[in-house]
Amino acid sequence: MNRRATLATLLGRSSTHTKATEQPSAPRTLLSDLSPFSGSWGYTEAAHLLRRATFGVSNEQIKQAVTDGLDAVVEQLLADLPMPEPPVNYFFNDDPNVPIGTTWVDKPFSRAVNFIPYRFNSLYAWTMGLLLEEGISVREKMTLFWHNHFVTENINDPRYTYNYISLLRENALGNFRKLTKEVTINPSMLRYLNGNQNTRRAPNENYARELLELFTIGKGELAGPGDYTTFTETDVIEIAKVLTGWVDVGYLSADPNQQPGAFYLINRHDLEQKQLSHRFGNTTILNAGNREYINLIDIIFQQEEVARFICRKLYRWFVYYDIPEEVELNVIEPLAQILRDNNYEIKPVLRALFKSDHFYQPGCLGCMIKNPLDFMVNILKQMKVDFPSALFQKYNAYSALFGYSQNLQMLYYFPPNVAGWKAYYQEPLYYQTWISSSTLSSRVRYTDIISTRGAVIGNYRLRLDVLTFINELDNPYDIDELLRETTRLLLPQGVTDEQNEYLREILIPGLPNFEWKVEYTYYRENPLDVDAKNSIEAKLRRLIQAILTLAEFHLG
Amino acid sequence: MKRRNFLQASSAVSIPFLLNGFSLSAMPKPAFFNSINNSSDRVLVLIQLNGGNDGLNTLIPMDQYDKLANVRSNIILPENSLLSLDDKLALHPNMSGIRSVFDDAKATFIQSVAYPNQNRSHFRSTDIWTSGSAADVFETTGWLGRHFGSLHPTFPTDFPNEDYPDPFAITIDNIVSETCQGVGSNFSMAFTDPFALSPIDESGQSETPDSPYGVELAFVRQAIAQSNAYSGTILEAANNGTNIANYPTENQLASHLRTVAQLISGGLGTKVYVVNIGGFDTHAGQVVAGNPQQGVHANLLQTLSDAVEAFMRDLQQLGLDQRVIAMTFSEFGRRIRSNDSVGTDHGTAAPLMVFGSCVNPGIIGENPEISEDVSVQEGVAMQYDFRSIYGSILMDWFEVPEDQVRSLLYDGFQYIPILQPCKTTSTIDLSGFGESIESHNFPNPFENWTNIAFESKGERMRVSVFDDLGSEIQLLSDQFFPAGEHRLRFEAHHLPAGHYYYRIQSAQRQKTKLMVKIR
Repeated sequence: MNRRATLATLLGRSSTHTKATEQPSAPRTLLSDLSPFSGSWGYTEAAHLLRRATFGVSNEQIKQAVTDGLDAVVEQLLADLPMPEPPVNYFFNDDPNVPIGTTWVDKPFSRAVNFIPYRFNSLYAWTMGLLLEEGISVREKMTLFWHNHFVTENINDPRYTYNYISLLRENALGNFRKLTKEVTINPSMLRYLNGNQNTRRAPNENYARELLELFTIGKGELAGPGDYTTFTETDVIEIAKVLTGWVDVGYLSADPNQQPGAFYLINRHDLEQKQLSHRFGNTTILNAGNREYINLIDIIFQQEEVARFICRKLYRWFVYYDIPEEVELNVIEPLAQILRDNNYEIKPVLRALFKSDHFYQPGCLGCMIKNPLDFMVNILKQMKVDFPSALFQKYNAYSALFGYSQNLQMLYYFPPNVAGWKAYYQEPLYYQTWISSSTLSSRVRYTDIISTRGAVIGNYRLRLDVLTFINELDNPYDIDELLRETTRLLLPQGVTDEQNEYLREILIPGLPNFEWKVEYTYYRENPLDVDAKNSIEAKLRRLIQAILTLAEFHLG
Repeated sequence: MKRRNFLQASSAVSIPFLLNGFSLSAMPKPAFFNSINNSSDRVLVLIQLNGGNDGLNTLIPMDQYDKLANVRSNIILPENSLLSLDDKLALHPNMSGIRSVFDDAKATFIQSVAYPNQNRSHFRSTDIWTSGSAADVFETTGWLGRHFGSLHPTFPTDFPNEDYPDPFAITIDNIVSETCQGVGSNFSMAFTDPFALSPIDESGQSETPDSPYGVELAFVRQAIAQSNAYSGTILEAANNGTNIANYPTENQLASHLRTVAQLISGGLGTKVYVVNIGGFDTHAGQVVAGNPQQGVHANLLQTLSDAVEAFMRDLQQLGLDQRVIAMTFSEFGRRIRSNDSVGTDHGTAAPLMVFGSCVNPGIIGENPEISEDVSVQEGVAMQYDFRSIYGSILMDWFEVPEDQVRSLLYDGFQYIPILQPCKTTSTIDLSGFGESIESHNFPNPFENWTNIAFESKGERMRVSVFDDLGSEIQLLSDQFFPAGEHRLRFEAHHLPAGHYYYRIQSAQRQKTKLMVKIR
């Protein structure tokens, strides 16, 4: 597998400015609560919801959402969808069971030929395709949420990885408790956190600890030796015993009948009674064999803190990282109550959040620094970039984008560690961890290249079609309207008057507004005049490039 | 020896950094300040070992070898493979590079470094190590960030400037190090390739509103401005800089350290560099089953050792060795007992290594004490508090006064002579430091109580008891004891049977010792 950038044929910009800015003060508190949104539902609100809940939408999709209304859009976002078609072999000729164009996800490995690299390439490209091809649905955002939550990485079997991500996708809008149970014996997880080595004779605490600390209840303040308020070191030891006996099967298997799975071995299971601490009401867990882990997770989910813990994570995923007391009280607590009242079903929580006053706080429209995948994918969907339809070219383009995301420090399937990406847990920077001198350079190189000459990937050129984009606006003849419509789509809070002036100057330097209308009208009325088209296109490319270089474009 | 800044005492002038609470940078500056204050030339390189390094498989206490062989039989290294440092200590066989640095008197190993009330979460413990806080204090700034913040409270406003044209700290990574997090801003830049920093257009700015949106927008703008402002000096240093020594290939840590040496040799005035190497979370497969000299941990130590050796050689050949020290740290050590997955789980203390021509070479601290009936969850008991290491480096390397070290880090600070003046002949009496404290407890093993007897030289002594998880469960005394033998009683009737450690700390001495409660 090549995790390096394949888009990196890129040059830097040359202008230098040095201007110090004010030191940022502490984030302002977000007021209001979970009561239903009472403001007026317009373009800004629809764009905000769709920006947060999906990997990007077009101008037309936002306008449609305004017409449809908040309730209908939220239901559309939450609607169940069939599972996507699995990834296919797009170039590899040496897998006798998998002709090009067919899937490998249920096909055996071989002892003679290494099938791992081509399958991973296919999986990665396919994943990027799912982000690019998704419609109005929160499923891909939630799949990545669960990937960031129930982390596994570095499992060197593409079938395992497909099996794992499919579990998350299938349950993305499902039941948190059920998903936790299934993840616990998922073959990738059994390998990643050493559950497959957790035996009666030699308990391995790795999964037990993360199950509590990162996956369900979270770690509270240190209340005493080995006591973290929500659980204790004793619980880690006892829960490791509960989980003994499970192994994964099918890893890199060349047996055509052996799919990735989990298997319970009674002779590795600890049959003794397990004693949890007072943090779990001194509950004892009796031996229940291969159903014992289910009982355990039911016990953990009886703790009220579990709902709060996951709701905070959802909040940081969809709203903002800062959770002051008021938000804890007025947003997290009611969301947690909804989750408990609905037996840990996720949809009612998202429904309440997306329809709440709090979600549309004006001060937080655009208060999230886009993660790298959002940063890369949003713009391609906003500007409706066409990808090739031929299998190889399409997968190849997706694969190149996947590779470039590493430069921006967010590679799908490679969270940096078991806690996920730092942006969602690391105090005090949170989202700001996405931004460094390195990643800023890579971000701007990306927007420069796709907005100007384009990235050449094989015989395909990945490039924003700015002319078509502008031509489809409501009123591209009027420069003010053109700028307003473009910036409200690409930037979460549009632009100020000074910025508008700056952008206007790029399009028509030192000229009165009507000159734009003259030039643009001529181009539209003379489609065969290539020179006119080229000069309009060049102007527009500079405009879009400038918008994408604004600090505001990093926000979503 | 008095606990004070002996490096500062040896320089021509000593200027306190804080005068009546005003930072010096805000006051008229003597013209000679920059040329004389040699601390401005000094560089600290932090090497973060992510995941929790198994100290007992890195620096092996040979006097405990037989007991270790018993409790970690599936991972113990063959005795004859180890690289001995002296008759009591040896390094992992893959650490010949670091051994040669040690032989050149350019390394000091501090034994059993941790903090009281060990937290075994990677994330929380990393936060504690990077912030330099106590285990129960939630501190969002980093220990170096607070140091820089005390000198430059207005940062980043009006930085860079004529006096400070270069970034204060650089993380050779894509994410800034939490060690350098200040109150409002991180003092570190982050990049992996100094030649890949391209300026970003800053046109089209406007006011930032007073809202979360405004806060994030201001942050991005500031990041762009800082990156642009510093990218020129960084590129210049990278272009002017060079490396002389050969670095190992396919060793990312080595290539990051090479970049550090290159930037320093190119004249960059950055004070702190942070590099890191991950993978130390060796729950399973720490060694190859049946072949403990091979495996994940062996490879990691090889990478670390080769990289450090090349870096130290390069610095010497570049004539920079007296300006640079490097220090490792990791969020915790691992358990004494290995698990059945030929790995080790999260533990407590571990050795910390400092390299450079200005270190006081040798070993600080005593070998950890291993018992054959060690419990499953027991880690190596702490001898030195990590904040005492940080503080001693701040004092000796960056000339931070001791009272300020106490307020930046913690009041229980104990000065440790990790460094020595390398440009002048030392006239400071170091004798007495690190001496053991005569002590024992009786009865031992004990049932309900035991007496801890110890010898004082007429000094303040802090005596406390830790459990096998690294929690400081009882403070027995913290007061002045006149010269002579003293005795404190440890009541333990309410405590479960198992291993406990008493720890005695005075200004210069210290002792950590195992006690066993039966029943």
